[in-house]
Amino acid sequence: MSQTPLKIFIVDDEAPARNRLRELLGDCGEQVVVSGEAANGWAALEKLAMTPVDVVLLDIRMPQMDGIELAQHLQKLNPPPAFIFTTAYDAYAIRAFELHAVDYLLKPIRLSRLSEALSRVRAAKPVAADVLHELQQEPRRNLSIHERGRIHLIPVEQVLFLRAEAKYITVRTVEREYLLEESLTSLEKEFAAHFVRIHRNCLVAKAAIEGFERVGSYEGEGSGWMVKLAGLPERLAISRRQQHIIRDFG
Amino acid sequence: MNKARSIKQNHPSDALPNFRNLGVTLRMLLLGNALALLAALLQANDGMDVLLRMMQIATMLTPVLLGSLVLLWLTQPVLNKLAYWQGVLAVNAQVALFTLLTCLFAGEFFRPDSAGYFDTVRCVLLSVAMSSLLLMYFRLRARVLSRSLEDARLQVLRARIRPHFLYNTINAVLGIVRAQPKLAETALEDMADLFRMAMSDPQDKAALRQEISICKQYIALEKLRMGERLHVDWQIQEMPEDALIPVLLLQPLLENAVYHGIEPLIEGGTIRVSLKRLGGELQIVVENPVPVADLPRTGNQIALQNIRERLALLFDIEASYQVTHGTDFYRVEITLPYAKEVTR
Repeated sequence: MSQTPLKIFIVDDEAPARNRLRELLGDCGEQVVVSGEAANGWAALEKLAMTPVDVVLLDIRMPQMDGIELAQHLQKLNPPPAFIFTTAYDAYAIRAFELHAVDYLLKPIRLSRLSEALSRVRAAKPVAADVLHELQQEPRRNLSIHERGRIHLIPVEQVLFLRAEAKYITVRTVEREYLLEESLTSLEKEFAAHFVRIHRNCLVAKAAIEGFERVGSYEGEGSGWMVKLAGLPERLAISRRQQHIIRDFG
Repeated sequence: MNKARSIKQNHPSDALPNFRNLGVTLRMLLLGNALALLAALLQANDGMDVLLRMMQIATMLTPVLLGSLVLLWLTQPVLNKLAYWQGVLAVNAQVALFTLLTCLFAGEFFRPDSAGYFDTVRCVLLSVAMSSLLLMYFRLRARVLSRSLEDARLQVLRARIRPHFLYNTINAVLGIVRAQPKLAETALEDMADLFRMAMSDPQDKAALRQEISICKQYIALEKLRMGERLHVDWQIQEMPEDALIPVLLLQPLLENAVYHGIEPLIEGGTIRVSLKRLGGELQIVVENPVPVADLPRTGNQIALQNIRERLALLFDIEASYQVTHGTDFYRVEITLPYAKEVTR
């Protein structure tokens, strides 16, 4: 009982819902302390990067960045907090939570359920990344990159291309490059609406494609096609197998 | 009264069509002429003959059909007060009488080569047969549409008690009950009103000001949760307060606007509601911003489909329904015939 109190952070876009959680956490006694709250994913990431907490209570349905996407970004914090999701109604998510034994609370939230979930937190293992990935119903809106203790969010629509290199993926925007630790195949699957594969190791943003160029003799492999992307001086090679995209986009 | 209605739910009471509705009139004209064409096809010997016979039939049919329509238009208020079977008899009697008079006084003019009494009797019999067929058609149509209306009633109910709205609102009320008990009281009262309205018959109509007040209560509940993110611009200065509209026609549109338009926006936005009278019509416009990146969703189709069906049953072609999906806005525009509330 002499444990340090659990530090808890609340993320919900609705003020009364945050208020409710604060009051209930107050009723939980001295075991817990509310260390902060945020109304959206961006604000939460910013605050949590500065002051780590033990548990994040996060709403699933929020504008711009839903709770599951936020959890995926927060997971890159060191050490990652434990997550307890809150939702009013989301049959799909609830089924998935049950399946993977992820903790969740149904709104309206009850004190008994809340303290039960909190009491499990210390013993619980952190949620695995692939589980969160599976919970994600819609593609993420941002890629998160962990860089020198900070988490950068890059809106997916700013990404020009993704290229697999050794064990990382290079994420290219107009301004600069980032390194991401994910698999190109799963990125391709998640963002199928945004990106198209032009090469075994490269996905480009469909919206950024400006044109195609035929290159006479390219590195001794005979003739080939390159794609030009908006805002990028370099050209990217299209592999022979993916040449059909020229027809699809030309 | 309410109990009786709920028992009869599966057998919606039959009613005569509204003879003053443009859609009904058009349907009668079209079907009447279609029957005439069928008769011409049966009699004709070749292609040209069909036209000839059709014209022959039309010379008699058209005046009778148009005359009967005028007569029915005139007697509509009286017919409305009769029981269904009395109404059917009255309509047939009117049509028979009108046909008889036309034959007696203008028969020479329309059908110079008529065969006297036989022809008159035949015309009257055919008219009654046609009007009975048309009445049967309208009865069947009403039944089919009311079945979807019954489904619609359940859907409306389910859509009203949209779990997302219900649980979030209860959670929000719980969130303010300790700090602002008065506000929580009002919220619960608003919720009760909204649900009472949702349980009413979707065929009922109410004065526009009632619908507006329920909509404002609904918005107050949503504001409780969303605070400053939700704004509604009510352009209702020119609204005819006494106009009758189907209950809960506007509220589902607002709910869609909140759920699909305002909630996904961090900064929120403004829903524009405009209600005004344009001549003999009432125009309802609801417009809301939508996130630019969002692909058109299909999630809100149930509520909209439901509104469409109710409009078709209640107003036939006299109501219109239009959706415009821009890159950053979504607009629903409904026009329906303006009808005044009758003070009892």
